[in-house]
Amino acid sequence: MDVNQYLEIFLDETKEHLQNLNTQILELEADAENMDTINEIFRAAHSLKGMAGTMGYKRMQALTHDMENVFSEVRTGNIKVKPEMIDVLFQCLDALEEYTNNIMTQADEGTNDNEPLIRKLNDILDEKNKVSSSDGDDIASAAPSDHGAGEEGFRSVKLNDTENKVLREAYKMGRNVYGVDIFIEESCLLKAARAFLVFKAIEEKGEVIVSSPSIQDIEDEKFEFRFSLIIVSEASLDEVIAEASYVSEIREVKAAELKLEDIADYGECDNGHEKEEHEADTLVPEAKAKAVSSSTVSAMAEAKPAETARQSDKKQIPGKPVVNRTVRVDIEKLDVLMNLVSELIIAKNSLVSVTTSREQNDSSGFNEQIEYLESVTTNLHESVMKVRMVPIESVVSKFPRMIRDLSKSLNKKMELYMTGEETELDRTVVDEIGDPLMHLLRNSADHGLESAGIRAQRGKPAVGSIYLDAYQDGNNVVIEVRDDGNGIDVESVRNKAIERGTISEDQAAIMTEKEIIDLLFLPSFSTAEIVTDVSGRGVGLDVVRSKIEALSGEIEVKTKLGEGSTWIIRLPLTLAIIQALMVVVGNEKYAISLGSIQTIEDIAPGDIKLVQNKEVIQLRGTVTPLIRLSEVLDIETEHKADENVIAVIVRKGDKQAGLVVNELMGQQEIVIKSLGKYIKQVKFISGATILGDGEVALILDANALI
Amino acid sequence: MNEVRVNESAAGRDYRDDNETIQFIVIRLGDEQYGIDIKYIDNIVRMQHITRVPKVADYLKGVINLRGEVIPVISIRIKMGLEPDEITKNTRIIILKLEQQGNVGIVVDEVKEVVTLITADIEKMAYDKKEEKIGYINGIGKFDGGLISLLDLNAVALDKENV
Repeated sequence: MDVNQYLEIFLDETKEHLQNLNTQILELEADAENMDTINEIFRAAHSLKGMAGTMGYKRMQALTHDMENVFSEVRTGNIKVKPEMIDVLFQCLDALEEYTNNIMTQADEGTNDNEPLIRKLNDILDEKNKVSSSDGDDIASAAPSDHGAGEEGFRSVKLNDTENKVLREAYKMGRNVYGVDIFIEESCLLKAARAFLVFKAIEEKGEVIVSSPSIQDIEDEKFEFRFSLIIVSEASLDEVIAEASYVSEIREVKAAELKLEDIADYGECDNGHEKEEHEADTLVPEAKAKAVSSSTVSAMAEAKPAETARQSDKKQIPGKPVVNRTVRVDIEKLDVLMNLVSELIIAKNSLVSVTTSREQNDSSGFNEQIEYLESVTTNLHESVMKVRMVPIESVVSKFPRMIRDLSKSLNKKMELYMTGEETELDRTVVDEIGDPLMHLLRNSADHGLESAGIRAQRGKPAVGSIYLDAYQDGNNVVIEVRDDGNGIDVESVRNKAIERGTISEDQAAIMTEKEIIDLLFLPSFSTAEIVTDVSGRGVGLDVVRSKIEALSGEIEVKTKLGEGSTWIIRLPLTLAIIQALMVVVGNEKYAISLGSIQTIEDIAPGDIKLVQNKEVIQLRGTVTPLIRLSEVLDIETEHKADENVIAVIVRKGDKQAGLVVNELMGQQEIVIKSLGKYIKQVKFISGATILGDGEVALILDANALI
Repeated sequence: MNEVRVNESAAGRDYRDDNETIQFIVIRLGDEQYGIDIKYIDNIVRMQHITRVPKVADYLKGVINLRGEVIPVISIRIKMGLEPDEITKNTRIIILKLEQQGNVGIVVDEVKEVVTLITADIEKMAYDKKEEKIGYINGIGKFDGGLISLLDLNAVALDKENV
């Protein structure tokens, strides 16, 4: 066995612990007296130390060890939580994150010892002139006192002759023999992996002579939540216990030294058993199994009070279910599944088109089956989509910490309020959305919120508020980033744009407020008076927009000078399969996503007016431009002036336009395919789909057309 | 720049051993015959309806559906500066499997046969940027007394507008 195969577990758990620490330390900052939080931090730091130790990352271990010492003192009340301490702790978390990243990319923790940090931690400890002992010692000192509980554990382990001999040999050589009982937390998912880590930890200190159940059984996970070992070691009992309890998800380690007399007892007891075994060969395994399981039950009963106490603690930890009924699946496998579902839908569509093109007689039974198939594929599609959905929590949970840091570095007081973290999005979207959101939050913190002085003048609360709200809206997920800051100064954007030559003064005069604000999304356009390291370098909003558009989403901003601004990101729930309206232009078929369609209008030629040489219609009070698809897409089509035209009214934000088509084919569920690597990007086309008859139809990008 | 590099590496790999055999599919474009290295060919399909894609280069005929995958089809004739394709019952689409561009279909007038050449019979062509048509050929194969031009597929499929 190799440690590397546990690297992934290690990385996952480290990240989880770090995230947890971040959240908890933030909480601690708000409420320095909360014992639950302090305990939780202590536990997380302790697990981290243990994990880093077993994986052999010494630097990481050293740093966490010192952090743990600090918490240990906080826990006992010897040190009070101070703001400077919180700062140091956050720096430690950053350093740990760096180690983790190094391990992830280079399979090595790197060479940064972070000595200044360790020194700072020790300074905190020294303030009280009291260097505490590590927690490992605490456990060690506690363990021997209640080693009575171990009696059903390692003391019931049976030894065979060779093992007996090895132990006697060890005594002769003056080495220590210990019995160790390991209890694994019941919420542990990979018992065997944990057990292996314990084995590895103990083998650093000594040699495992006997294990019950056998090593093979432990590897196969054929054991309850405990196992017993007899080891030979030159190290002290405390060291062995400390080493074993570094492994995370180990509830308890109990150990005691075994004297020669004990061994002798074992031998006799064992011999007795062996006789019985000869007499009733078949019964023994069962009896043995019973003995083991009954001992486990009693040990568990004993541990119950402690366990329940722990669990009540645990309720406060978000996102860490006690029993996790999930499986990790490679995203590529899901993609394959998704592709198969797509194929199925295409096949279904072609069946539908075959039946509808035939005469309607004697096909009623056939139709029924098709409808059944349709409902199955729709359900299947929905389930597969759901599998790919993850809550955005994994991305947004790092933001409170970021805002806290920004608050310090910008010297502005601010608070982040988040809702809807449980909103789910496709995995691929969630992975991509983090950076744009971060940009927007930084933007709000830096440009949006005013300095304390101005806020006081305007009669706003001293602490600025930034909101991050996520919610589902039909087939879209909306994420809003809102602040109660200054809002966008349209005039200053306008002046800046003229100054930079982005627009001419004449243009500026006729542009609406909204069009001016849209200029902010152009590359290298920043209105920040002072360029800070937070934002203002002009890379940002354009990147935000292109990223969101790459995810087929859209972004708009609403702002009111002096009151704040709201950035609204709208993302499609799914990327692969959508409902679309099929239309005919000339003799070509196109699909328009149903999500962007408002209405369909039949327009008499007389209703079409010309404004600035562009065709528009009056639609319920709003002037709506008409876009003749045949012209935009270079399609030859006969255009009779006196006929009514069909216009599909599409919307983008609060703009709308009418797309003129020749014919409507109907609504259809379509599978979005890319146009292939060769055709990189085509204006007005967002992809292709395969129709029931095998023909390829292109999907119109309504956003680009407006 | 890119094209040159591709050529050299292909030459280095394919034509080193004089007795190594390479199979080529012989296609006809107008009156000329060209060879395509069989290892780049994924599939040969009959001419079918090609969905036009608006706003792209003229040699890009559009896209087709090949067993659920959308594949772009280019007209090698237009790309080489010949007159546009004339669709007959012999017209085929050859689906090429290229490393950089993925799968791409090319329209050819006819697929004639498969020939096996030994590397000794292949004469490498010097790359000449000036002559456009030559640019798409990276060798001449001697076969049964006749000659076939060997298409440099990376050059054929290379999207000039994007270079």
